[in-house]
Amino acid sequence: MSDLSRRAFLAGTSLVVVAKSSLAIPSVAWSAPKTGVAAPVFTATDTGGKAVSLGDQHGKIVVLEWTNHDCPYVRKHYDTGNMQALQKEATGHGVVWLTIISSAPGTQGYVNPREADELTTTRKAAPTAVLLDPTGVVGKMYGATNTPHMYVIDKAGTLMYAGAIDDRPTTRRGDVQGAHNYVREALQAVAAGQPVKMPVTRAYGCTVKYA
Amino acid sequence: MVHRNRQPSRRRGSLPASAVWDNVELMRRLCAKLVIALALVLAAGAPARAATVPPTRLVAVELLSETGAVRPGETFWIALRQQITPGWHTYWGVNPGDAGVPTRIEWALPAGFTAGEISWPYPSRIPAGIAMSYGYEAEVVLPIPVTVSQDVTPGTTIALRGQASWLVCEKICIPEEAPVALSLPVAADTPRPDPVGAPLIGAARRRLPVPSPWPASFSATRETVTLTVATRDLAPERVAEVWFYPAKWGAIEHAAPQRVSLTPKGITLEVKRGQLAEATAAPIDGVLIVTERLDGGVARQAFALRAEPRSSVSALALAHAMALALAGGLVLNLMPCVLPVLSVKTLTLVNHAGGRAVLRRHGLAYAFGVLASFAVVAGALLTLRAGGEQIGWGFQLQSPVVVTLLADVLFTVALSLSGVFVVSGRFAGAGQSLAGRAGYAGSFFTGALATVAATPCTAPFMGAAVGYAVTQPWPTALLVFEALALGLALPFLLLTLIPAWRRFLPRPGRWMERLQQALAFPLYASVAWLLWVVSQQAGSSGVAAAMAGLVLIGLAAWLYQVSREARPSWRRIATAAVAMLALGAVVLGPVTSGGSSAQPTTRADGWEAFSTARLAELRAAGRPVFVNVTAAWCLTCLVNERVALRSPAVAEALARKSVATLKADWTKRDPAITRVLGSFGRNGVPLYLLYPGRAAGEPEVLPQILSEGAVIDALGKL
Repeated sequence: MSDLSRRAFLAGTSLVVVAKSSLAIPSVAWSAPKTGVAAPVFTATDTGGKAVSLGDQHGKIVVLEWTNHDCPYVRKHYDTGNMQALQKEATGHGVVWLTIISSAPGTQGYVNPREADELTTTRKAAPTAVLLDPTGVVGKMYGATNTPHMYVIDKAGTLMYAGAIDDRPTTRRGDVQGAHNYVREALQAVAAGQPVKMPVTRAYGCTVKYA
Repeated sequence: MVHRNRQPSRRRGSLPASAVWDNVELMRRLCAKLVIALALVLAAGAPARAATVPPTRLVAVELLSETGAVRPGETFWIALRQQITPGWHTYWGVNPGDAGVPTRIEWALPAGFTAGEISWPYPSRIPAGIAMSYGYEAEVVLPIPVTVSQDVTPGTTIALRGQASWLVCEKICIPEEAPVALSLPVAADTPRPDPVGAPLIGAARRRLPVPSPWPASFSATRETVTLTVATRDLAPERVAEVWFYPAKWGAIEHAAPQRVSLTPKGITLEVKRGQLAEATAAPIDGVLIVTERLDGGVARQAFALRAEPRSSVSALALAHAMALALAGGLVLNLMPCVLPVLSVKTLTLVNHAGGRAVLRRHGLAYAFGVLASFAVVAGALLTLRAGGEQIGWGFQLQSPVVVTLLADVLFTVALSLSGVFVVSGRFAGAGQSLAGRAGYAGSFFTGALATVAATPCTAPFMGAAVGYAVTQPWPTALLVFEALALGLALPFLLLTLIPAWRRFLPRPGRWMERLQQALAFPLYASVAWLLWVVSQQAGSSGVAAAMAGLVLIGLAAWLYQVSREARPSWRRIATAAVAMLALGAVVLGPVTSGGSSAQPTTRADGWEAFSTARLAELRAAGRPVFVNVTAAWCLTCLVNERVALRSPAVAEALARKSVATLKADWTKRDPAITRVLGSFGRNGVPLYLLYPGRAAGEPEVLPQILSEGAVIDALGKL
């Protein structure tokens, strides 16, 4: 019971923080970056405690994936192996895949580094690194509103795609088959040096559980 | 008497048990919610069955009816009522916001019954950090119209059944679903309102957005969208709150603050621009909720509005549109119905006139004629549009009366060029009377005639400029139209203003007379084409009336000429006769509008008639679709059809990709087609759209001047 009340307290405080921050710094909160221009540069800590910076990835295509392992929309893509397959396909071609968790402590999807590594192992996921962003700084920098929310950055550091993973905004596992995967399409276009056909789509999924 | 089945909701069956629930953490948190849920259920006076509710219940649903019984064939309101655990919410069906899924019902209705879409009461906004949801908290009643079968027998009972499903969220989201049912007796006479359902549904229907009585527009910069609603009759000091809920994601940032300023002229609302760049190219639909402070309380009202784009980087966009318009106007000079009129005028004036000052005045009079008549046509267009008419550029040609009159005018000019009659000091007049007042008036009317003759020819570059113009406030729109006029007037004007340029013109001589006669033939061709347009609009009776009019004009022209050499008394009689004949020709015009030819669904040339429903149907079936928006009076369209669309190579490419072909014929007025044009920023034909087979794909807009190669390339990319 004490555990429950602590969690209730945490939920309460996080709500207060949300209210305050949205009043105090509205300009930061809605600065979703534009595609076709330089992606915002960030540095975040991976599950091994190492600092990973977007600035260090020059010359490589980068995918950012916002996730929350308990979100039914995320589970659709992991339980069917869809996300893992895309990760393997991309990293196999030299793409840097960064999975980012912006859930605040006490909210759905929050994990410590050990739990994050366990999830990677048990789900047979293949990201280049999992970055922990419990303060939500990176998430808000990218205007990530959903899980999954996907971004593709080209070798020159230009944001080329922002939005949904595919065109089926549902939790039905059957919808993975036959869906039009925007991220795969964007990666293929970027690798071929061609413009991305749909550079922005409406992301779908759970909300990111920011502090 | 209504039997309402209050069903406990349960989790969506299609999700495996592991989906949400194996998480112990979540389970514990939901147990806490259960206490609240049970409290809510008890407070709402729910039946004892609540005891069997699983610990997952967050939303209680039931169906309500507005009436206590139904009558055969009538349409009545039912509603899905959701009672939602405090702190949780369900979603608005028009636009759930940055995350979320609207509530839906899959019906299993008795034979002959139909249920319409849910009518969504206006939502409230539920912010979550940088995301925003639009939805309902605590309780919502979602009205649905249901039409009763004709074949139900009074005295029996009917049952409406369905499966409702929804997403309910707090910080986390749970998909839920439940069966819903409603039993109602069938009555022969007017039923009484249901004591529970009628007030609840009535209240919900009062929360449906009403069409906005005010015009709305928006402008967009790279960072912001500014919405302007001309709420003339709203007292600013009484307005407590204003919020705009867009109907679609992408145009504005849902979660961003909306900066509202109120003036007696209306509401201006500035908000951060959304992520979908192309979303601001089309009108923005949405619901504006205005909360007013009244004596002893507040009143909230929701208005459904459509804001038309009012491109904002005004100076730049306007300059661009004006440049395009100017270029379009220049090209108009070369069109077959305009060129003869102008060439003859040019040659006579430039070669015969005396002083430079006289010439300059002629040039200016002509330019003034063009500008003034463009102002008249544009003014009429803008006024009619402001009055809600769905019309566009070339609208005047959608009337067979106007087309017939245009044919009359061109025929008259052609007869004059052929030498059937000579009006001194007018079109082809030369020499002495040129400097007179009649001469200047003649130049002015040549300008007007050039404008009238030019309207059917939408030149390249014109489409985009005119499309831009009609969405602008009227002073801006008029500027663009006048730039078009200036383009049309410019070549002749420059020749009169810059004497040096006249050196490039050939010396006068007998060839001029021959040229003048030869130039009559493009005009006769234009007349023939206009008669064909009339045949499309008003059938064979229309053509008969128009041709009778032409015969009268021919007679009048001959009579006029022969009477010039006659005695004054004869001349007066002849003049009266000419006037009568001309009047007769004009009056025959309206006769033609009487007949009308029906539009066959499948057209003779293998193109199916366009409708939005047919387009949606084809796209849902995964077929790629080519839409040809055209009109019989649009010369560019006809050339494109002949050169590109009907070529065997294109036909073969269309067949290979199994592309469905739809023809949207704008020859006559058609608001649906005008809306299609508007949604692509156009206001005139032609417009060519190629929709890909994927249901979600955006159509490619093909250029206004088509080539076989361009069409085949576009088809190849499918």
